Amino acid sequence: MLNWHVLDQSAKRVTNTSSEPFREELRDQFVMITQMHVKGLMFDPYNNAYIVVLRDEEHSDMLPIWVGKSEAGAISMSLENVTPPRPMTHDFMKSFLDAYNAKVISVVITDLSEHTYFAKIHLMYEDSEYTVDARPSDAIALALRSNAPVFANNSVITKQSSEELEQWLENLKPEDFGKLDS
Amino acid sequence: MSAIELPKEQHLIEYRVDRILEEANTDTRIVVLARLDGVLDTFPIWVGAAEGNAIKLALDTMITPRPMSHDLVKSFAEHLNITIQRVVIADVKSSTYYAIVHVANKGVERTIDARPSDAISLALRAPCPIYITQDVLNRRSTTNLDAWLSKLESKDIGTPEVHET
Repeated sequence: MLNWHVLDQSAKRVTNTSSEPFREELRDQFVMITQMHVKGLMFDPYNNAYIVVLRDEEHSDMLPIWVGKSEAGAISMSLENVTPPRPMTHDFMKSFLDAYNAKVISVVITDLSEHTYFAKIHLMYEDSEYTVDARPSDAIALALRSNAPVFANNSVITKQSSEELEQWLENLKPEDFGKLDS
Repeated sequence: MSAIELPKEQHLIEYRVDRILEEANTDTRIVVLARLDGVLDTFPIWVGAAEGNAIKLALDTMITPRPMSHDLVKSFAEHLNITIQRVVIADVKSSTYYAIVHVANKGVERTIDARPSDAISLALRAPCPIYITQDVLNRRSTTNLDAWLSKLESKDIGTPEVHET
């Protein structure tokens, strides 16, 4: 599988420069992705859940991802650089990959279907690349521990924009964000 | 386990996950391990709710629409051809248990430190055997599960022993 975005991580946004429209069978290979940064975690009192807020460099796109309490905890520990006395699940996950020198190259939030996000983790191991399906919360928690970039398919960002949630998020004041927001 | 004579303390006794108990009104679950070789013994480990749920999903062989954290570790193992050989509850300090996950890849063995909850959760999915060292069995706290259960049945349900074993 062609994962060109991995080869050019400097590209913040990749667009189709050719005049040819994408052919359907090539769509999976030529997805457009944007690098996102984990801006922080918020508590959503209405759903009693946490929201991981991803934003692109220019702050023009925002991608909120709802996660559970323990998943939020795993991400927050990384954001705050907390080293737990015992390895938490994602520290263990990282050790598992480290044991054989497998590296997380990047993670991509790939799909949104019925309010559920899907992600892929790209690994490099012994000169081969592997793509593993994951929940975005696991992918992000692992990316933060591995200093790997987080990308989102533009289709996911676009889909998200069309939902009312964004409006709700846009109306949030900075003070509604947790202390993790920078 | 091996041809080499190990000191008795390092003997490994195999256990299986018997059940997960919920503690009412707390964020705690109890993973009850039961000895496999016929000797009647249960070994309770107190874990968090999320950790307990992860084990319960594996115990009930529930298929989740998306891979949970330990499914992801298993998936890493499958992709990279890493064999998860066994997990061992290898130490206890201040009533906290420590586990080691033994893995192998092309004859190269490695050990990874883990919390017992992560180790057990992975062992059920791998699947691979779960061991407790004789040393940990010797040094475990005397408060056993039966005593705890009988306390639970009484009206006075407190949580003083949540972090004890």
